[in-house]
Amino acid sequence: MSMRLSENDGFQILETAAIPANSTLIIGLPDVGLVGLLASSHLISTLQLEEVGSIESDRLPPIIVLHGGVPKSPIRIFARNSIAVVISETTIPSSLLRRLANSLVDFGKRKKIELMLSLGGMAIANRQDINSPQVFAALSAKSLETRLNGAAEVLEEGYIVGAYGLLLRRCAAESIPAITLLTQSYYNYPDPEAAASALTAVNKILGMKVDVAELLNRGEEIRLRSKDMMHRTHEEMTRMNKSHEYDLPPLYG
Amino acid sequence: MSRLDERGYPGSIHEGWNVADACIKPLYNVSVGAAEVVVTVDLPYVTSKGVKLRCPDDVLEIFAETSEKITFKALGAKHRHGEFTSYHARIRIPVPVDERKISSQLKHGVLELHIPRVK
Repeated sequence: MSMRLSENDGFQILETAAIPANSTLIIGLPDVGLVGLLASSHLISTLQLEEVGSIESDRLPPIIVLHGGVPKSPIRIFARNSIAVVISETTIPSSLLRRLANSLVDFGKRKKIELMLSLGGMAIANRQDINSPQVFAALSAKSLETRLNGAAEVLEEGYIVGAYGLLLRRCAAESIPAITLLTQSYYNYPDPEAAASALTAVNKILGMKVDVAELLNRGEEIRLRSKDMMHRTHEEMTRMNKSHEYDLPPLYG
Repeated sequence: MSRLDERGYPGSIHEGWNVADACIKPLYNVSVGAAEVVVTVDLPYVTSKGVKLRCPDDVLEIFAETSEKITFKALGAKHRHGEFTSYHARIRIPVPVDERKISSQLKHGVLELHIPRVK
């Protein structure tokens, strides 16, 4: 197996197979309601994406994850055709998120990624009263609004705390197309329904037909399986002042 | 039970999964408003029939039976053994409340409790 290694800001990206140029890079990190992680995991299994790389760093906690009896990095890259997905099966310390975001953007530039598409949750107080969570989009450039294809409402004002905000800002500065989809969700309960809504939006944006039925049908099992991950993610979100996202920006137009 | 336990997760290596008592510690939120305290608890595999509440002093205690037996194996963990039939949480309520007036509702597997504050 050939392996290509690139290093940036203390993060190493090991590629074991090529990612086609002009791919869309979908990013699903642990965050509010684990929306991005659940949606990305579902994408990987439904589209049968192949593992093509991993992201490693001496700065990360010393954790590996076993899959099929094989030790792997918890942060890995999967791809097939023109879709690539980055997921993390462990919480990433908030102090490392800037470095990780920079590494992902540099990786995207090197791979001539056509669109960076981050998936996250947007906590809402009365989530249990909502049957179809709404999806919002933060864009690296206004011109990307047409790409949404009516899948999400554009966020005009507000804060984004964490890797996705940093990634979006850097992409905007470097004219790399990037969309962050934020789906209404529980704050600290795993939310497979929100993940299904996020994927429905991804389907519209990318012209795909990924079936989300399994996310809904196995919702209880997914919630329970993800409970411990959600708990650790909640602790990290508290450390990074994630609740800042729900503040109103003080400036007015 | 320690104060740490009342925040939801004990400091043991088996956080949140009490095999001896076949009991899962659920995720929850406490929100203190001007007139009431709202507690939500994530309870997959629970129906409203299976929920029991106690609120002695400043601690809200929640027992909930699961609608089916849950095993680590079914959740994909072959290396751990245990089965679970209920949830149990002890949640410290940070302000005085009138526990006689608790109202509760289970929506989409999330228990929502409203407890009026004592004025």
